[in-house]
Amino acid sequence: MEIAELMASPLNLAVIVKLEPDFSEGSVSYNSDGTLNRAETKSILGPHSAIASAAAFYAKVKYGAVISVATMGPPIADSALQQAQLISDADSLHLYSDRIFSGADTLATAEVLKTGIKKMEGTGEMDIVFSGHRASDGETGQTGPQTAWKLGYTFLGNVICYDVDIEKRIVTAKRLITLQGTPDVIEEIEAPLPVFITVDPSYRSVFNTVSLRLASVKYQKEAEQRAQNYKNYLKIFNAQQLEVDPKFVGLPGSPTIVYKVERIPKARASRRAEVIDGSDQQQLRRVAEKIHEIVGRVVNQ
Amino acid sequence: MERFDVAIVGGGTAGFSALQQLSNLGKQAILIEAGKTPGSKNVSGGILYSKTPKNGRVYNVEDVFGQEFVTQAPVERLITKYILHATSNDKVFSIDLTPAHEYQSNFAYSVLLTKLIPWFAKQAGENAERQGGGIVSGVHVRGVSWNGDKTIVETDELEPFEVKAIIAADGVNSELAELSKARPKFTPEELYQGVKVVVKLPEEILQERFNIKPNEGAAHLFAGDVTLDHIGGGFLYTNRDTLSLGAVYHYDSLMENPVEPYVLVDRLLKNPLISEFVKDEVAIKEDIDKSLATQEQLRARFAVSKLLKNWGDLRDQYYSRLGRARLVENGRYKSEEEIKARLDSIRNELVGRYNTKFVNDYVELEYSAKLVPDGKRCRMKKPYRKNILFVGDAAGRGIFVGPRIEGLNVGIDDAVRAANSISRSLDRNNFAEEYMGEFYTKSIEDSPYTRDMKEIDKDYLKLFLDAAKAVPVDIVKARYGIIFKLMSSGMLRGLAVGFANILGYDRLLPMVETRETYVQVPIELAEKLGSHTASTYSCTIPTIAQRIAKLRYNDDTLSHIRILDPKSEFMRKMVVLCPTKCYSIEQEEVMLQHEGCIECGSCAKETDWKHPRGEKGIEFRYG
Ligand SMILES: Cc1cc2nc3c(=O)[nH]c(=O)nc-3n(C[C@H](O)[C@H](O)[C@H](O)COP(=O)(O)OP(=O)(O)OC[C@H]3O[C@@H](n4cnc5c(N)ncnc54)[C@H](O)[C@@H]3O)c2cc1C
Ligand code: SF4
Repeated sequence: MEIAELMASPLNLAVIVKLEPDFSEGSVSYNSDGTLNRAETKSILGPHSAIASAAAFYAKVKYGAVISVATMGPPIADSALQQAQLISDADSLHLYSDRIFSGADTLATAEVLKTGIKKMEGTGEMDIVFSGHRASDGETGQTGPQTAWKLGYTFLGNVICYDVDIEKRIVTAKRLITLQGTPDVIEEIEAPLPVFITVDPSYRSVFNTVSLRLASVKYQKEAEQRAQNYKNYLKIFNAQQLEVDPKFVGLPGSPTIVYKVERIPKARASRRAEVIDGSDQQQLRRVAEKIHEIVGRVVNQ
Repeated sequence: MERFDVAIVGGGTAGFSALQQLSNLGKQAILIEAGKTPGSKNVSGGILYSKTPKNGRVYNVEDVFGQEFVTQAPVERLITKYILHATSNDKVFSIDLTPAHEYQSNFAYSVLLTKLIPWFAKQAGENAERQGGGIVSGVHVRGVSWNGDKTIVETDELEPFEVKAIIAADGVNSELAELSKARPKFTPEELYQGVKVVVKLPEEILQERFNIKPNEGAAHLFAGDVTLDHIGGGFLYTNRDTLSLGAVYHYDSLMENPVEPYVLVDRLLKNPLISEFVKDEVAIKEDIDKSLATQEQLRARFAVSKLLKNWGDLRDQYYSRLGRARLVENGRYKSEEEIKARLDSIRNELVGRYNTKFVNDYVELEYSAKLVPDGKRCRMKKPYRKNILFVGDAAGRGIFVGPRIEGLNVGIDDAVRAANSISRSLDRNNFAEEYMGEFYTKSIEDSPYTRDMKEIDKDYLKLFLDAAKAVPVDIVKARYGIIFKLMSSGMLRGLAVGFANILGYDRLLPMVETRETYVQVPIELAEKLGSHTASTYSCTIPTIAQRIAKLRYNDDTLSHIRILDPKSEFMRKMVVLCPTKCYSIEQEEVMLQHEGCIECGSCAKETDWKHPRGEKGIEFRYG
């Protein structure tokens, strides 16, 4: 018998997601002062959260992982969970919703998520927690690392693909390192479970065998059915049920407060454009000379 | 390496029928399709027949997919009228061929493959899963190799896998046929080039126009001057709320006298009868008043777009019985009159406030093209190679005799026979050519469809000739001499058919599939007997650039086609004959821009031609 069959659930995964304003064309609404009109703007599962859900789906197809998706937000944030379930074929959905959570900064959010994940663990430990790279509505990419730190998990950031050795309980991953002024670097890393993974926007699941493709179709269908009845999979927790310490959540638990948002004036384009009519030989020669000069400069450097 | 019992390459109507049949027989099969979603690469006319031939049986779509096909499948309309029109300028002479169309037919539906094939895929996919198989789409098979008794399938996307047998349902431009050397590439003499546009027409306007009941449909064929002097003709089939208008011409006749494929469609559209068939009310936006403040211009532009969309959507609903019922049922409107009132008020607002004009024109939705193999000339006599069985277009099979245009049903019949042959081989674990390939060949030779590819069916011909009774004998006699003189006499007809069949299709075809038949005789008929037709408008036909711009592609950076000889006569003709103008001549050499390719295969004969990699290339929305 294979290892996978011996263990009821070879891999326990959690994905933390966020409901965000839909920034796609036509969905955004602005106030007259140019700030986002949150009430009128449609909300969707954040694009980075969607990628994190896709990353979890990979483990479902490949290892038959059990997936729980969690979010902190108002009751309507259950739609983010539904969308995440459609992508990941999640087995359970967790919404942490309480008035006292509002006004939370990233640290206070991380406290709620950590407590939630700990609660999910139930019998065994959570093996991998996924989160998006960052949110697209004014978050600085800290919730993930802070949750990882609170959980005490090894943190793997910017992951573009990963695999798990179930037997050895080791995860191997590639992460993309982008530094200004130097070419991008891809690092290959290995870490023992449990880990916390933030998924890079360029993450892609590769199902490269017939069996994986067939399995992915099967789970996709399951996901469609589940997401249609997502409420059957949904558990809603308030602060009390979650057993969080009110001191560490919401406004009281937030050491940072955003007290003013300043719009950055649009910088003037530093490029100068000139229209060259291709029929004029002399102008073309000038272009050629210019290119020559620039190339020469770069090469000499 | 992963192992499966059977791989089916290609998810057209034939491939999915094979998957369903194998699964029905309890066998494990996987189907590999290059398109991102099933149906996105497939093009047909198309009318799907179910038949009960008088001698021998064929496997019909409902035999494979069950009665659910009749009750649930997303077909368009049951074709109850079949009319052939001979055209010359504004004159048209029409012959009602409905009896010939109904000959041996249980039913015939117009279909759009991008809708029908996903339904096939759903049925067959679920069925296959139960046997440990299924559908893998977005994967392109690029090779098959044999290593001892192992058969290994290679793809561009996945790790190689092993199978016991393969069904090649990869269409007219079958790569499996080429790489297994099962047959040479088809020649222009063995092919037709089909080109088609889908035209929008609200449901009830369509029904009134074609004088048909809800769910019923009409088929119209055209020959004469609309062919621009080529062998073949035009077709117009009614779908639920669209029309399929196209042309199918012998490819050698196009080679001889090259004309851009879209010009052939344009020529059909310019025929007054067809112009009237496709006519609809179309809104023309007026330019926004530039003297207004920018804000105001923006607002007006937005308002017009929104109103036009509302008007279009509501109009489609209003002209559909179900659509109206839905709107009333869900409480958005109290009555049908209220919908009409709203429709009129939107229209009035558009006219009154925004100077929108409403004119007669037509709305084209999609342009497509594909080669079609002429079964009479190129069906594979031995449709197998090692443990690969060829079905449908890949095997060069289809019945194209006069007004009979049948490829879909033939491919389904083949698929069942191939699946049955493989099932038998799986039971005996014997995939040798003599055991499996020969068994399949015999089965397929027994099919009445194969007989129709070999000889004339005199009962069908009788119906055809009866329908054409009104045609003066002198027109026919002068052209076809002895054979047709004999055939037009009731008593001698049997003898004539016998005589014709002794001659055999090989000798007969060059005598009847001629310009006389498709061009001159119809023109003469229309001139002598036709009635005048007139159109109240002339349609604004999109340019080829506009047509291409409407298509959806998933561009591949790599070209799937490689020119072999950029100076050959054939390639020079491709500059005209490629339906999407992918070829051009620069400094005496033919160049290719593969991005606009719609994978019709017209250039395959003299190129290194592959289908694009999985998920890449054209994605049809109607098919
Ligand atoms: C304009 C026109 C009008 C027609 N009218 C009619 C009609 O009215 N009635 C009728 O019965 N027939 C009609 N036909 C013919 C009919 O459409 C065809 O015979 C039929 O669609 C062929 O089906 P198929 O399954 O054999 O092939 P296809 O539908 O061509 O399917 C082949 C499939 O294989 C896939 N494929 C190919 N190579 C690979 C590979 N290497 N790896 C993975 N996938 C691959 C392709 O993506 C495609 O989906 C018409 C055809 C045309 C073009
Ligand atoms: S490039 Fe070839 S296959 Fe592609 S559309 Fe043109 S003729 Fe057809």
